[in-house]
Amino acid sequence: MRALARPAQYAALLLYILFLGFPLLWLISASVKSSRELNSLTVSLLPQQWHWENYVEALSRQGLVHSAWNSLVVALVATAVVVVIALPASYVLARLRGKVRAAGVGWILVSQVFPVVLVILPLFLILRTIGLADSLAGLTLVHVTYMLPFALWMLQGYVSAIPVELEEAGAVDGASRVTVLRTIVFPLLAPGIAATAMFSFVSSWNEFFFALVLLQSPENYTLPITLKMFIGGEGKVALGPLAAGAVLAAVPSIVFFTLLRRRLTSGLMAGAVKG
Amino acid sequence: MKSRRVVTAALLAVSSLLLTACGGDSGDSAGGPVTLTFQSLSDQPAAIAATTKIVDDWNKSHPDVQVKVVQAGWDGVYDKLITQFNANSAPDIIHYEAAGVVPFAADGYLADLTPYVSEQKRADIPKGVMDSVTVGGQVIAYPTELQSYVVFANRALLQKAGVTIPSGETMTWDQLREIAKVTTRDGAYGLGWGLSSPTAAFVALAPGFGGKYFEGTGRDAKAVVGTGELALPKLVDAMAQQDKSVLPVTLTQSGSKVLASFYAGQVAMTVQGSFQAANIAKDAPAGFDWVVLPPLAGPAGPAQAANPQTLSVNKDSAHVKEAAEFIDFFTSTENLAALNEADALIPPTTSAREALTAKLGSKNGWNAILSSGKHLTSAPYLFVDKYAQWKDTVATPAFQRFLGRELDADGLARALQDGWQTISR
Repeated sequence: MRALARPAQYAALLLYILFLGFPLLWLISASVKSSRELNSLTVSLLPQQWHWENYVEALSRQGLVHSAWNSLVVALVATAVVVVIALPASYVLARLRGKVRAAGVGWILVSQVFPVVLVILPLFLILRTIGLADSLAGLTLVHVTYMLPFALWMLQGYVSAIPVELEEAGAVDGASRVTVLRTIVFPLLAPGIAATAMFSFVSSWNEFFFALVLLQSPENYTLPITLKMFIGGEGKVALGPLAAGAVLAAVPSIVFFTLLRRRLTSGLMAGAVKG
Repeated sequence: MKSRRVVTAALLAVSSLLLTACGGDSGDSAGGPVTLTFQSLSDQPAAIAATTKIVDDWNKSHPDVQVKVVQAGWDGVYDKLITQFNANSAPDIIHYEAAGVVPFAADGYLADLTPYVSEQKRADIPKGVMDSVTVGGQVIAYPTELQSYVVFANRALLQKAGVTIPSGETMTWDQLREIAKVTTRDGAYGLGWGLSSPTAAFVALAPGFGGKYFEGTGRDAKAVVGTGELALPKLVDAMAQQDKSVLPVTLTQSGSKVLASFYAGQVAMTVQGSFQAANIAKDAPAGFDWVVLPPLAGPAGPAQAANPQTLSVNKDSAHVKEAAEFIDFFTSTENLAALNEADALIPPTTSAREALTAKLGSKNGWNAILSSGKHLTSAPYLFVDKYAQWKDTVATPAFQRFLGRELDADGLARALQDGWQTISR
């Protein structure tokens, strides 16, 4: 019985991975099928004929590469800014008690209440007043504002999970508050920072509505806007090129995840505190 | 080392961002040519090329009035435009459908183009189509492209069932029903109709049965659902439930999805937007013999409600006259014919339709499709506030429940009217 347990576990894991990965596999499959095959009743994961022209069309048709660069710049900068602000702020939220914390938590919760369609016009007017409408800098600012509350909330959960006794032990050994933060708290927060950075990057990378309304010039369009242009009026969809574009659009997120994957692994605190 | 690389990458990204932010279009320079921004929604490569050519031709012949195309997508364009109008940053020339621009005109965002429409142009556009872009007696947009609903048929399946392919000026819905019955054989169904979102088709085709769905305009409009409005949903229900001549699954699919069944010979005919002719020509299996049947006519004739794509001018544009002149150029016979051929749509002007008919003849069903353009008429729903809300939250679910037999005809009428009252309250 025990001999069967391990293969069964692997089989379950394989099924789970297939379940999670199937939409991506299907997307990749659609990206190499011809329009004729996509519009037939034949269902198969492997294309009858590999139709790489979808990638050529995706790359040549709508300025996809330039849009991807715009998205990458916005997402990287927004992620960096969010992490830099959220890191100290989350520590304050998690560790300190009193009015500052209450105000911070209140702000986080209230900021999540308003739907984006409600705030888009005031945001647009503010950005225009400060000369940042229709610019990637303006969009980055909006992404930071939009993502920061959730990033703070997320990161303060990780801070709370670090036993305060570790900081006290450091203080007893003569470390200053800054040293404690630098040498004990922040390294232990690495998985939380990685998770927050990934959340911020993916949110910014995929964000559509703000980019749609705030960006006016095609040279500033980000990837979601460009991909949406494969969907035309009257229900016309260039499905093959759209799938090819979507596959290419997923690559940076996958790379970013791969880079941060090791940081996500917890277990750093194992054995740090007795009892 | 690794962290240094990350920092370098971040700095590069920030520099690029700041450089991009510092750049940008400075608009008209003092004393230089006027620059008009034209927000185009053309999505097909051929249509983008046709639009670019028209703009290039204009720019070459009008050095003092240069047009800059700003390519945008259809998805979310209403939200984009409403923000642009409110923030005073809308483009000079706006490409959008009539159903979208009529509310903008009612809210005072669009310029009155009446003084710029020549008598010749007015005479070239059928009255029903012109009415669809006229608000309060003012022409608020030029129609550029139209679509109608037509029947695509698998010639081999019709001939196998002994059906003579209709070839008259029009064909009746009764004929369609009869052909669907006859061709439902050997495992194939007579008709496939993608009605997952049925409101657009039912409302557009209602004029053929004398249906209007709305009386009055603006906030005072009233939903009316009587014999004319219910005729088509009841006909579809009868074909699906009594005749069993409609492939049931297609009633839950989009129009594009139904094409796969059409190609596979599962259905002999399908009702589609006329633009699908281009997709069928491209995607149908080799040797697939298909034909576009004549325009469908109900008891009230072959009329269909038109929701044309249009070009309009931002009222706050500093160059309304120049923008109107560009649109007049854009809608010349030659340009409309080229654009509609590229988009597989129907030109709104008679002269462009005739030019296209002469050029394309019966290839890919163009003659029948262009012929259906003659029968397009103004749609009452264009002039009704909150139509979009009624369509999405009331009409579509009610029609779906009717086709799923959860509602009878009386229940459908009540749901449509009561839903309107709730929304318009």
